[in-house]
Amino acid sequence: MYTIFHAVFGYFFMLLAVRVLVRRPGGQLTPFEFVIIFLIGGIAILSTIGHDPSVTNCTCAVIAVGMVHRFVAMARTRWRRLGRWMDGLPLVLLRDGQWQLDAMEGMRIEPDDVMAAAREQGLTSFSDVKYAVVERTGSISIIKR
Amino acid sequence: MATPRTRPVEDSISKVGNELAVGEDLAFQRRWWRFETTIWILFALILAADLSGIFGRGPLAKASAKTADGTMKLDYERVLRYETPDVMTIHFGPNAIQNGRIELWVSESVIKPLGNQRIIPQPKSSILDGDGILYTWPAASHPNSVSFALAPSAPGSQKFTVRLESTGDTITRHVWVMP
Amino acid sequence: MTAVYRAIFGYCFLVLMVRVVGRRPGRQMAPFDYILIFFIGGLTLTGMVSDDRSVTNAVVQVVTVAATHYALTRLRQVWPKFGLMLDGAPVVLLMHGQWRTEMLEEMRISQDEVMAAARAQGLTSLSEVGYAVLERNGAISILRAGSVPDAAEGTGGGEHGDSAHAAG
Repeated sequence: MYTIFHAVFGYFFMLLAVRVLVRRPGGQLTPFEFVIIFLIGGIAILSTIGHDPSVTNCTCAVIAVGMVHRFVAMARTRWRRLGRWMDGLPLVLLRDGQWQLDAMEGMRIEPDDVMAAAREQGLTSFSDVKYAVVERTGSISIIKR
Repeated sequence: MATPRTRPVEDSISKVGNELAVGEDLAFQRRWWRFETTIWILFALILAADLSGIFGRGPLAKASAKTADGTMKLDYERVLRYETPDVMTIHFGPNAIQNGRIELWVSESVIKPLGNQRIIPQPKSSILDGDGILYTWPAASHPNSVSFALAPSAPGSQKFTVRLESTGDTITRHVWVMP
Repeated sequence: MTAVYRAIFGYCFLVLMVRVVGRRPGRQMAPFDYILIFFIGGLTLTGMVSDDRSVTNAVVQVVTVAATHYALTRLRQVWPKFGLMLDGAPVVLLMHGQWRTEMLEEMRISQDEVMAAARAQGLTSLSEVGYAVLERNGAISILRAGSVPDAAEGTGGGEHGDSAHAAG
């Protein structure tokens, strides 16, 4: 019974922790971030399961987490404002040859990160980039000139 | 030299708008969504059952039984969980004390499948007696109660019996151990 | 012996869970998706392992999971209908300037996510999108409107709140 509350709490707590801790440029997670994620997840699992390692308990916990996630996903598509809080917004990093410094500093993104994304598109210099946008997943979209 | 086996490429994937091969299957998709809804309703029911304690560790799982004259009252849980700590408490009335002690016989199932870990307070003596164990506690006054800390080691239906030696009162109950 | 059943149950339960929790749209998994998957996986794992932390048990369960996985993938190959159930089918989200609202709602995808996928392809507005398809792995494929004959007038989504929505 308490497992369900623990699971729901664990879900939201992890949501907050991840939202605050890790949103990195490039969309790729560094090994260090993976470690953090596993650490957070593992700790949440410990407290969720407690002293009850029965299949019943774990099944109920998983169902609770899945259900919360579904409701959250539903709410996120229904109310955009909520989605903004949870996923953040896409931000323009580079626009017509101008770095958008607020976004760059706020997201802790270096021009190198943008250039890496541009190279993936086959571009060779910043002058070919019209827009660079950091997406909600953390990946950088490049729009060619 | 061996020739590789081949097959001509066919336009076998269904198209959208007569131009884009996607392999979309609307009929299947709708059926799947109906199935998904069913699953979520089922999941909700499981969670409700868990919250209420049908699967153990909740209000509905708690039960108690007592002898006709109230000499012995047993608080237990109808549904236990595999390898999960649980407490069974027995309360004794004044008639339970005989010669300054309480003697309680419990069936072996409390020890083995239900996995009795320890008894609080510790009995002064425990004697093997038939297919069970006879515990003795010195007792001066009532109310008295004894707790068994359980951690079931076998899933399924289990039966246990407790008997008060002074009056011969017996309580037998079936409990269910969730896997 | 029960370890084998627990492993099979755990695996099948996870497959069902991941399937019904839904495809997460987007080119890449967001950090939170990793953590959710890890959380769900870890919770199931605890029930699967239960109190038996021996190496024997670990080996038995790993082999069981691997065998179940192999059986499922084989079944998927020889029986396409089963594969459809396991993986689902691709879903068209946007077509000829029309949103497929049913799909968006059921798959819980917002227009922002489609636009993000379009930007990843270098498109600057939704009206340039000919087709948007949600693939089985959760990625959104975008086809340019120019690559297919214009069949409908572009009413795609109307005014859009994206900062990258700009004149091309």
